[in-house]
Amino acid sequence: MDFFASYVVLAEIYVLLALSTNLLVGVVGIFSVSQAAVFGVGAYIVSDFLLTDTMGFLPATAIAIVACVVLNILTTLPSLRVAGDYFVVTSFGIQLLATAGFTNWTEGTGGANGLPGIPPAELFGFQLATTLQYLELSTIAAVLGCLCFWLVMRAPFGRLLRAIREDELAVAAAGKGVLHAKVSAAALAGAYAGVAGGLYATFMSFIDPSSFDLDASILLLSMVVLGGMRTLSGSIIGPFLLLALPQVLTLVALPTSVAAAFRQLIYGVLLIAFMLFRPQGLAGERL
Amino acid sequence: MSYLAVAGVAVNFGGLQALTDTSFMVEQGRITCLVGPNGAGKTTIFNVVTGFLRPAAGSVTFQGQPLVGLRPQAIVRAGIARTFQNLRLFVDLTALDNVVIALPAQFAEEPLGAIFRPLHTARMQARRREEARAVLAQVGLAERANEVVRNLSYGEQKLLTVARVLATGAELLLLDEPASGLAAGALDRVMALLRTLQDSGKTLLVVEHNTRVVQKIADEVLFLHQGQLLAQGAPDRIIADPKLAEIYFGGAL
Amino acid sequence: MLALQLLLNGIVTGCALGVVAVSFALVYATTKIFHVAHAGVYTLGGYVAWSLAVRGVPDPLALVLAMAVCTALGALIQHQLYGRLERRGATHLGILIASLGALAVIQNLIAAVYSANILQFPSAWASRTFGFGGLRLSAAQIATLVISLIAVAAVLWFARATILGKRIRAVASNPFLAEITRLEPRTVHVYVVAIASAVVCLPGVLVPFDLGLQPYGGITPLLTATIAMIAGGIGSLGGAFVLSVVIVVLQNLSLLVMPGEWSIGVTFFIFVIFMLFRPRGLFANA
Repeated sequence: MDFFASYVVLAEIYVLLALSTNLLVGVVGIFSVSQAAVFGVGAYIVSDFLLTDTMGFLPATAIAIVACVVLNILTTLPSLRVAGDYFVVTSFGIQLLATAGFTNWTEGTGGANGLPGIPPAELFGFQLATTLQYLELSTIAAVLGCLCFWLVMRAPFGRLLRAIREDELAVAAAGKGVLHAKVSAAALAGAYAGVAGGLYATFMSFIDPSSFDLDASILLLSMVVLGGMRTLSGSIIGPFLLLALPQVLTLVALPTSVAAAFRQLIYGVLLIAFMLFRPQGLAGERL
Repeated sequence: MSYLAVAGVAVNFGGLQALTDTSFMVEQGRITCLVGPNGAGKTTIFNVVTGFLRPAAGSVTFQGQPLVGLRPQAIVRAGIARTFQNLRLFVDLTALDNVVIALPAQFAEEPLGAIFRPLHTARMQARRREEARAVLAQVGLAERANEVVRNLSYGEQKLLTVARVLATGAELLLLDEPASGLAAGALDRVMALLRTLQDSGKTLLVVEHNTRVVQKIADEVLFLHQGQLLAQGAPDRIIADPKLAEIYFGGAL
Repeated sequence: MLALQLLLNGIVTGCALGVVAVSFALVYATTKIFHVAHAGVYTLGGYVAWSLAVRGVPDPLALVLAMAVCTALGALIQHQLYGRLERRGATHLGILIASLGALAVIQNLIAAVYSANILQFPSAWASRTFGFGGLRLSAAQIATLVISLIAVAAVLWFARATILGKRIRAVASNPFLAEITRLEPRTVHVYVVAIASAVVCLPGVLVPFDLGLQPYGGITPLLTATIAMIAGGIGSLGGAFVLSVVIVVLQNLSLLVMPGEWSIGVTFFIFVIFMLFRPRGLFANA
């Protein structure tokens, strides 16, 4: 029971991350392999504040959100300003740089050994000690996250983003600022990553760079592609399916050294197969 | 003070002079047609006036306000909107959404309003849809409002581009070949629409190839050739000019 | 002296990365595809050569056979993946995601078969060192330098002088025109990716002689190479090569003042500087 509950908690946290990636990749159409890096920054900020007992879970998460918003705007800004494939380079660069930072800045991140003993989240004097209590928090967060995504996408803002993905010049000719809308989308994506970072760190009570590396970003991208671009349901289906995959793989009884590579291999195959045969994903719109 | 004044505008693409020292004026309430052979710089003028292209030299003023250096969306807010030769509609959105998007200053065009005031957003959206429906009715597309654009006929799509510029609320409309590629019936609809727009107080600057259309709708014709304004005047005079006809039909080829 | 040695090492590695950059730029200029799976081809070349070398195949022959495998892989990726996607009207983003998927597949297949540990070539000749007035170069470094320079010269000559090279440039400058004049851009694209894959196999095999093999070792070289391509100016193969050398030299010299883990930061910093001040690159065509 506990095992299943922690699967759901993780999947719900990844729903927030999938929504974040979906906003950038699916809705605005920016290729991104650095959302895990932004997620990591959020997780490390919350962990550091809680481990040093500087402040509680809520203010720490609020700061993480602000940091992730700023970081996400900065990382996507090049793709907004210059045409061409420069943003692919930016995205890879930010991700590799972040991994280098997480691994080597030992004082802040514990380096490759990670940060153990992160205290659980505390809300209004109430400590979330058990997995089931966490399940309540992550469910509330995921439901709120989905609600926000739904509200935003059906508002004029969502229509504007769809139009931008189709034709930026025409949007400008209709009198709307393209850059402003994209920056807003990137900021919203950053906020999702910040919340997810706080939840993840306090739930796992241990974080290390491997949760926030390039492979993690590829996992996020796979979730969005598998579930379906631009739709809310896609960003819910993707995480629940792909996080079940490691459990299924344990049935095959692979040696642990091979298991990680095998998992990533499957994500790669999924990316290719879906692009070739079902680019809209299981529940998405035409790409 | 003239309504729209283009003065000494020059544009280079690489070594090519697309516009050299082009000057002209557009008067309020009239339909002015830009004609000239292919490559004369007609669309380039549109791009300069609407802020998509920054001229190497020269100025553009609209009701006394200098426009050069403003971004396209700022120029739309100043009251000038354009269509594109290749339409540039949002083909995966409905006809109605294509119009709604161009309505100015909407609530919740950013995420915070949408998230924190959802009911207000929904109410405002409903109101905007009604406004957009009215605009669609103006161009005769009221029945097609909920159709996805890629399913509309070419003629309907052309009308929709006009609806989109109307929705911006702009006073000066720049229409790039509104009549090209249309069958006779649709052509008459478009010409009638342009007249109605003029009667409702809009000013039109129109790029058009079809001399019959020009003769019928234009109050004033600007003849452009190789990036320069060659002649300006009433349509009959310009079209009857044998020298211009030579350039238009023969010389340029 | 240390600075000079770092400079020299930088030039050698820079030339090898220059080959990666030139081959990547060749693909990008022609197909307009940001071929991130190129990093996988680069890595696979090294592993194929290693597998042959540990079974007693002479190193030069192992290199040639690895090149053949890479050529086939490149042609397969273009023909079966990118080509198919383009025929189905996939978006640019879709092709990019598929390319990333191909990279993940290649890297993790390697990791599953060979494990993620660093592998070293068994060859004794590679680690023999030669002194030049206090500076030292290993035989592997000398081979890397010489072969990289020859490879780049060959690619530049090929693109300029041969008929296929001219076809490639014609297809690159105007795919539509090339289509109707029967230059068959699709076939040309397969040739281009195949050739680029053969070329990138050279540094893919030679660099590990010095630094060892790792399944995920292709990504950082790819990042450096793409930054060099952008900084050099898209469309300028020579520019991509020169900037590769410059960037890697700066990376190496940065070791004087900061630890090596941060050299990715140096590379990225150079990229940001270019983005801010010269986004079209140094040698861009107008």
